[in-house]
Amino acid sequence: MITHFIEMDINLRQAGTGLVQFVEAELRRHGHPLRWAIVSVDRNTQTACIEAVVTVESSSD
Amino acid sequence: MTRPYTAVMIVPTGIGAAIGGYAGDALPAARAIASVVDTLITHPNVLNGAQLYWNLSNAYYVEGYGLDQFAAGNWGLQPVHCNRIGLLIDSGVDETLRWRHLQAAEAARATLGLELSPYVITEGPLGVELRVAASGATWGTIQHPDRLLRAAERLVEAGAEAIAIVVRFPDDDGEALQAYRQGRGVDPLAGAEAVISHLLVRHLRLPCAHAPALTPLPLDPCISPKSAAEEIGYTFLPCVLAGLSQAPQFFTGSPDAASKDVIWADQVDAVIIPATACGGSAILNLSQTSATLVTVEDNTTTLSVCASDLGLKTVNVASYLEAIGVLAADRAGVALEALGPSLTPLPFLSQSDSRSVSKGLG
Repeated sequence: MITHFIEMDINLRQAGTGLVQFVEAELRRHGHPLRWAIVSVDRNTQTACIEAVVTVESSSD
Repeated sequence: MTRPYTAVMIVPTGIGAAIGGYAGDALPAARAIASVVDTLITHPNVLNGAQLYWNLSNAYYVEGYGLDQFAAGNWGLQPVHCNRIGLLIDSGVDETLRWRHLQAAEAARATLGLELSPYVITEGPLGVELRVAASGATWGTIQHPDRLLRAAERLVEAGAEAIAIVVRFPDDDGEALQAYRQGRGVDPLAGAEAVISHLLVRHLRLPCAHAPALTPLPLDPCISPKSAAEEIGYTFLPCVLAGLSQAPQFFTGSPDAASKDVIWADQVDAVIIPATACGGSAILNLSQTSATLVTVEDNTTTLSVCASDLGLKTVNVASYLEAIGVLAADRAGVALEALGPSLTPLPFLSQSDSRSVSKGLG
């Protein structure tokens, strides 16, 4: 297993009311979400910046 | 007779919270909140004060990943009388520090009567790497997470019901640490600590919490009182052991199969958070329940995610003192506006208003 730190922007309009599910689905493109938070929001563009740590399975330790 | 009033207090780790961003400095707020609610659910960053802690008989000590799962409605919290704690020590901890931590564990057995299972040492160093993100929040990664998980599995096989983890963190005498000791800036270790405990809770579904192992710092008579709890000894382990000893177990089955004393997210009445840190998964999930969100303005953070940015409805207050008043009123069933100097007249709901409301609901 490997732990990865990632930063990612999402569009809040696309997320709709299922924000948590939307964020976690986007994070799953990079690995298994472990810890994340929205750390800023651009009100004009309705863009939210996410910081997260995900895990990725790896054959080596 | 009313049902028990349950509050969740969250101060996210590693975001420089003015209250709760240092060494156990949100504990006074937690103690006061616990006195006006029936049950307080909070997490190690709020309750841990290194060698200092306070036993709150109505508080649940819930690690962040478990709190996220609880908030999502996936896991319930099962109260216990006590947990047998397994101590997991990173092999990167040098011999002197290892003995200091083992003696802290022995002291917890002898003075607090805590039950500990045999301890383990990882097969190799875990390799913690610290990181500061663009937001100013601290995060971290681990080079060898599998070593952590394997060591924890051995503890569980030996009967541990909760895991206290001691991991060697990089020594740092840079500007971030100096600022932290002065009660400014962001805890440089906090984000990585959360990653370690999150990994274990996700893997084991047991209460887990972390204490970093660090070389004791040279005396500085000018440190901030908010950081002082981490300056008075060799280890931060005592608060972790005390917290884990009665931390609720996670109920991960169907709610239908749970006993009546298991608490679920839909039983939460209020959530208290810093006003600029509304973007965590636990908060977002709890915002979808009927709980009252109380945002505290003067607990500033490095983030700037306010409730209005995410369309969350909250009761915004200036301080924890005011938040405690909101909780007391809410628990008593007193409308908040009734406590002000004036009340607006009761509005009249006309036939046309009723029809539009019905359509909106339909």
